[in-house]
Amino acid sequence: MSEPKRIFQKYYTELLHAIHDRDVSLGLSRSISANRQRRAQVMQRFPNTAELANEVRRLREESVDRLDELVQTASASLQENGAKVYYAKSADDALRIIGEIVGSGKVVVSGKTLAGEEVGLRHYLEGLGNEFWETDIAQFIQQLREEKPMHYVFPSLHVTREEVAKLLTELLGREIPPDIPVEVRTIRDFLRSKYFKADVGLSGCNVLAADTGSIFLIENEGNIRMSTNVPPVHIALVGIEKIARTLDDAFKVAQVIWRYAGFAAPLYVSIISGPSGTADIENILVQGSSGPLELHVILLDNGRSTLAKDPILKEALYCIKCGACLFECPIFQMTAGYYGGRAYFGGVGSILTAYMGSGLEEAVPIAYTCLRCELCTDVCPVSIDTSKLIAELRHRIVNKARN
Amino acid sequence: MSDKLYIPPVLQIICENTSKWGNPLGLASKDCAVWASGLQIPNKGKTILYTGCEYQMTSRIQSLVEVLKRVKFEDTAFAVFKGLQSVAGRFGVDSMKIFTRAGGGDSKTYDRILRMSALTLRRLEVDFSYLDGELYSGALLYEYGLFEEFGKQAERVVNQLKAEGVMKIIALTPHSAEIFQQVYPQFIDNFDFEVSPYVCTVAEALKKAGMELSLPKPLTLTLHDPCRLARALKVTEEPREVLQAIRNLDLREVASNKGSTICCGAPCKTIYPELSELVASKRVEELLATGAEAAVTLCPFCYSNLTGKALTVVDFIEIVYQALGAEDVGA
Repeated sequence: MSEPKRIFQKYYTELLHAIHDRDVSLGLSRSISANRQRRAQVMQRFPNTAELANEVRRLREESVDRLDELVQTASASLQENGAKVYYAKSADDALRIIGEIVGSGKVVVSGKTLAGEEVGLRHYLEGLGNEFWETDIAQFIQQLREEKPMHYVFPSLHVTREEVAKLLTELLGREIPPDIPVEVRTIRDFLRSKYFKADVGLSGCNVLAADTGSIFLIENEGNIRMSTNVPPVHIALVGIEKIARTLDDAFKVAQVIWRYAGFAAPLYVSIISGPSGTADIENILVQGSSGPLELHVILLDNGRSTLAKDPILKEALYCIKCGACLFECPIFQMTAGYYGGRAYFGGVGSILTAYMGSGLEEAVPIAYTCLRCELCTDVCPVSIDTSKLIAELRHRIVNKARN
Repeated sequence: MSDKLYIPPVLQIICENTSKWGNPLGLASKDCAVWASGLQIPNKGKTILYTGCEYQMTSRIQSLVEVLKRVKFEDTAFAVFKGLQSVAGRFGVDSMKIFTRAGGGDSKTYDRILRMSALTLRRLEVDFSYLDGELYSGALLYEYGLFEEFGKQAERVVNQLKAEGVMKIIALTPHSAEIFQQVYPQFIDNFDFEVSPYVCTVAEALKKAGMELSLPKPLTLTLHDPCRLARALKVTEEPREVLQAIRNLDLREVASNKGSTICCGAPCKTIYPELSELVASKRVEELLATGAEAAVTLCPFCYSNLTGKALTVVDFIEIVYQALGAEDVGA
């Protein structure tokens, strides 16, 4: 059997498995209604959100059209702030660069990063002989289960408290009861024992303001603050499509992300522009103070600049990964992240999967799953026309299959 | 990657059939026109009722799905085109037999709906004709990314429309209305036919005719808005206008309606039939929760995919026809 056919068959088998998995459907039904309610409340409390989202659509168009220029501006700003900036053309480049910074035999703690999933960062760093810990609770669970994420914002939505108790009991060698507050406290204690031992903290980025070189990180758990602030070295892996022109623009994008993810105000928003520093003694600037001594920013291309030049498919890059569409998608509602590639899900995710590293053969079964029903477009803050994009992606697939 | 991309087998089947037969399921053009026999619809005129062969194909989709289940992951190199019949033959299935069997009861239902659609227009004094050898719009070709074949099909369709002197298309199905209104202009220069979805033509004609609409007995209905009609074409008010004007008809809205309607699952039926089935079941549950006696819809694919479960499904065309107090269609 050919490799592309094997990929298709594996995907199909997993989809069928997912639709019959009771944990997947239970987790989904809980998440869907909770998310819908939260999102509705947020929209009611902040009635300007739809208008703000329209503006963010224009900002995203502008960012994608001026990608090369924004990469230059952001790099210059970050360097000015004392960060080291790298441009990774491919996933392999990103892994090599990060691998060189980290080395081996280190302890690495990581905040949630989709780009990290995209390039396979955890496995790579573990392969170099490092101890790696995901610190987002859902990703921590995902790491223990050795599986891919199920959603952008809620990667382990299908895992029950009983399963978590089992995983923790196994990890710690002592009985952990299936009691959610106890489980969370147990994970907290475990991770806190790691933050202060860690040599390197990793993060992704929700938005990067080019004019100030500021990385926005949105979270509730406090794990990103710990991961990016406690270890002496912070490495941020940033997909270049995340760049906004100005700090003001970045705030708008960030607000739309968290509101459409269902949060009135995320508990923490970190804005990181460089390594820590002080000029408190004689006004002489010294890099490295209480926070990290070094900030390394890896700007990840991995197909993005090519996709940004595509007159039709570039629209997929407008996606801000709020995940609102996924909970509404009739297919996703039954399959969760099995309808997707290793990092990106659903219809838009099939385009990102095709052009950001994984390749068309990985995207074929995902692209042909989409119903083109346009419900996602209806809830998308930036109104991505998935139906049009999917027809176009299928057209590219057909052309490639024939040549 | 040196291996060729793997494409779902249904693509080859619909490609082959459309080029050979003019429609994706390989129906002979006389089969597509069976419904119109005896109705004496003119076959030439400025305004046509365009069925797009979709109702005609619907009863055969299940057989296609059965055949496809057998060919799943069989070797289907794209260069080797196989018609449905030859594929079916290789797997020990007599495709004509399944077709006849599946087509039996079902195709009668769809033919009746087609007859009603025409008789309703006549009753509402809408002038229309039905083209001899009407061609398929190519909607599925576009949907599956077969743009080259779609472009060719669109050209054939436009040539036929021009040759017959057509100016206005009453598109019976949402898929064909969408494809004409929104996709043909991207593939065909100066595509300047007037296109009206059937429901819009009916709503307009009803207003003009000022006719009384009434069902013989009280009926509660819920409306399943087809995605293509409600979201792609943004037609959500016309079906309601018509249905609400019918005496004895109580319309109960489902929670996810109009622009937030939920797909019936039909689009992935030929590739992931199990998923399609589950999406349909979920939608059926929502429609049943309204407590309505039946759900009315306006798309043959929605009709077919939602049928066969705990829910009674009727076509908008059937309801309007009945509400006009019309006699049996004689099919």
